[in-house]
Amino acid sequence: MAAFRVLIVESDASEAAELRHLIQGWRHTAAGGNKLPTDVGVEVAPDIAVALETYEEFLPNLVIFGPLAAARVASGDIRQLRQSGGIEPVPILFVHDLTAPQVPVEPPTDCDDILTKPYSPPLVQLKLASIRRFCEFSRSLMAQRDRLRRHHADFLQEQANAREIFGNLGNESCLDGTPAIRYHLSPRAVLNGDLLAATYTPDGKLVLMLGDFAGHGLAAAVGAVPLTSIFYSMMPRGFSMSRVLREMNRKLHGILPRQMFCCLVMLELDPRRNHLRILNAGMPSPCLKRTSGELLLLESRHLPFGVLPTDQVDTSIVNLRVLPGDRLYLWSDGIHEARNSKGEHFGECRLMELLRADGNSAQAFDQILMAVNAHAAEQHDDLSLVELDLTDDSLNRSGCPAADQAGDRRGGRVGNWSMRLQVTQEELREADPLPHLLGVLAQMPGAARFQEDLAIALGELFRNALEHGVLGLDSSIKNTDDGFVRYYDLLAERRSGLQEGWVSISLSCSEGKQGGTLILVVEDSGSGFPEVREPTGVYAGRGLNLLHTVCDEVNYLPGSSRVEAVIRWDVAEKDHDTAEAHRNAIQNTPLPV
Amino acid sequence: MVVSDRYDSRVTSEVSESGDALIIRVAGNFDFNMHREFQRAYRNVSPPPRTFLVDLSETDHLDSAALGMLLLLRDYCVEVASEGVHPQVELMNANSHVSHILSVSNFDRIFSIR
Repeated sequence: MAAFRVLIVESDASEAAELRHLIQGWRHTAAGGNKLPTDVGVEVAPDIAVALETYEEFLPNLVIFGPLAAARVASGDIRQLRQSGGIEPVPILFVHDLTAPQVPVEPPTDCDDILTKPYSPPLVQLKLASIRRFCEFSRSLMAQRDRLRRHHADFLQEQANAREIFGNLGNESCLDGTPAIRYHLSPRAVLNGDLLAATYTPDGKLVLMLGDFAGHGLAAAVGAVPLTSIFYSMMPRGFSMSRVLREMNRKLHGILPRQMFCCLVMLELDPRRNHLRILNAGMPSPCLKRTSGELLLLESRHLPFGVLPTDQVDTSIVNLRVLPGDRLYLWSDGIHEARNSKGEHFGECRLMELLRADGNSAQAFDQILMAVNAHAAEQHDDLSLVELDLTDDSLNRSGCPAADQAGDRRGGRVGNWSMRLQVTQEELREADPLPHLLGVLAQMPGAARFQEDLAIALGELFRNALEHGVLGLDSSIKNTDDGFVRYYDLLAERRSGLQEGWVSISLSCSEGKQGGTLILVVEDSGSGFPEVREPTGVYAGRGLNLLHTVCDEVNYLPGSSRVEAVIRWDVAEKDHDTAEAHRNAIQNTPLPV
Repeated sequence: MVVSDRYDSRVTSEVSESGDALIIRVAGNFDFNMHREFQRAYRNVSPPPRTFLVDLSETDHLDSAALGMLLLLRDYCVEVASEGVHPQVELMNANSHVSHILSVSNFDRIFSIR
């Protein structure tokens, strides 16, 4: 097919021949100024009907109506011809015969340009050359448009795939399993690198993280994959929050390009002990709203993750005592940075005003979303918002997926065995022995029946041994809000500077036909339990109360650091009911506050 | 994001009077749209100065992409340090909004701010 195609419409053969001659004699001047042999194709159609037929096959770049055809053609035919051309513009020229006996007075209006007869070959060639340049220009424009269209379609497809992947990342979460959590995470925010994850630890604590990767688009969002996989693989195994955070920072620093990082809030809520631990690394301050109307902003105390290879996780975690009715609000900067038509950010002040005005009606979540949408000039919907009711009853009922998966193993035999684990100062400074121990137990068929109780009891006893025994911390410090914070600062400080000490954990299990017994003994290098527990130490008493709810027996002696806890079970009983009973027991036992 | 903003933003740079510092001034919105200009501003100086002074006096807003660019500049200093001097990065004259963003992200821990 010729590179430049001209369709001549003319009924008079000699007129057509003259035009053909004129066109073929033309030498197209290429952009470089070189004269190239013209690659021009010419077709002649005697009338408009043939022209329309030829059009589709020949695909002309230019249509010339000879003098006779031009004088006779109807507007409708020209319109039809233009429609056959599709979107690419094909100029139509009329020959205006100045030598004809009757020269039309009005210039033709349906065409794009005219050629006057008698022909001036240089003028005709100039016109053809300029039309050809115009055609090439529009052709390259069309090609670019098509390429853009293809890229855009690919891009949309990728986004759809990504949205599905990121949607599935949330499948492991327990976000929808409790009315305590309300969240809004817009698809656009997800594709820009926002992520939200939540799960339970084996001992029934809720852990939740809201993160925001720096940067735009999918590149920012890919980091969510390793982050969530660390979260969902380590948390349900009982690794401590600091350990998981440390692993996340290490991983992100290893894989992210230098200019990318992740701002993150992670919180761990122990609903049984009403204890909230939170780390804010570069996110806008979450806000704790108390029923008294007090608003507490939890400012960032850590660099975003992935910036430095080292971290200060332990010293940056904030400890808070949860009071009845406390609600926590978390958000990413999409809300703060939503702009109105004047370019003003929504900002923290407006958020605080909304929370303050809300009182105790608990409508703040919807009001914030509504206010941000009303404020934003463009409907950009880059919003992530989480509301957590910290004292919701449903949190005491574990929805841990690990426990559900273990359900089919509940009936198995546990067997007769014993094991002992002793950790000394070096491990106590940083390591986290419980997940490994629980990991071993999780492998045993039948162990699922006491998994959660055991995790709670072990956690309680180990913490007790470490904090009061080895580190010599006095629980009564925790009685005031300031003291609560000081206690945990002191804990981090003493733990990192620990020179000498040990904790030993032994487990022995015996199982018979009727049932079994698991005996847990924890000892430490400390001076042992005080003779009389001070009446002020109510908070410390809570640990023991909790032990009684999950264990059948708890024994300890003043002056000794040895604590023994016993968990018993019957083989014949219906395991599911037992689990229910345990959970109810936990809910109903009044814990001293 | 309001698209028209980017047209008001720009990066300028000049050598300080003492001659040992390069002052990079970012006016308007310091965000992803600035990244080429910002990179050009510090990469095209040979030999590299003793100090890169990022002047934020005319910066209205700074987003996480801008923080990323500052990290790249910090990395660049380590990169050129192999040729001799290790340049320092200092941020200065941030308005209260911008310094709030810097402190929220704890970037005051890795950059000296004055």
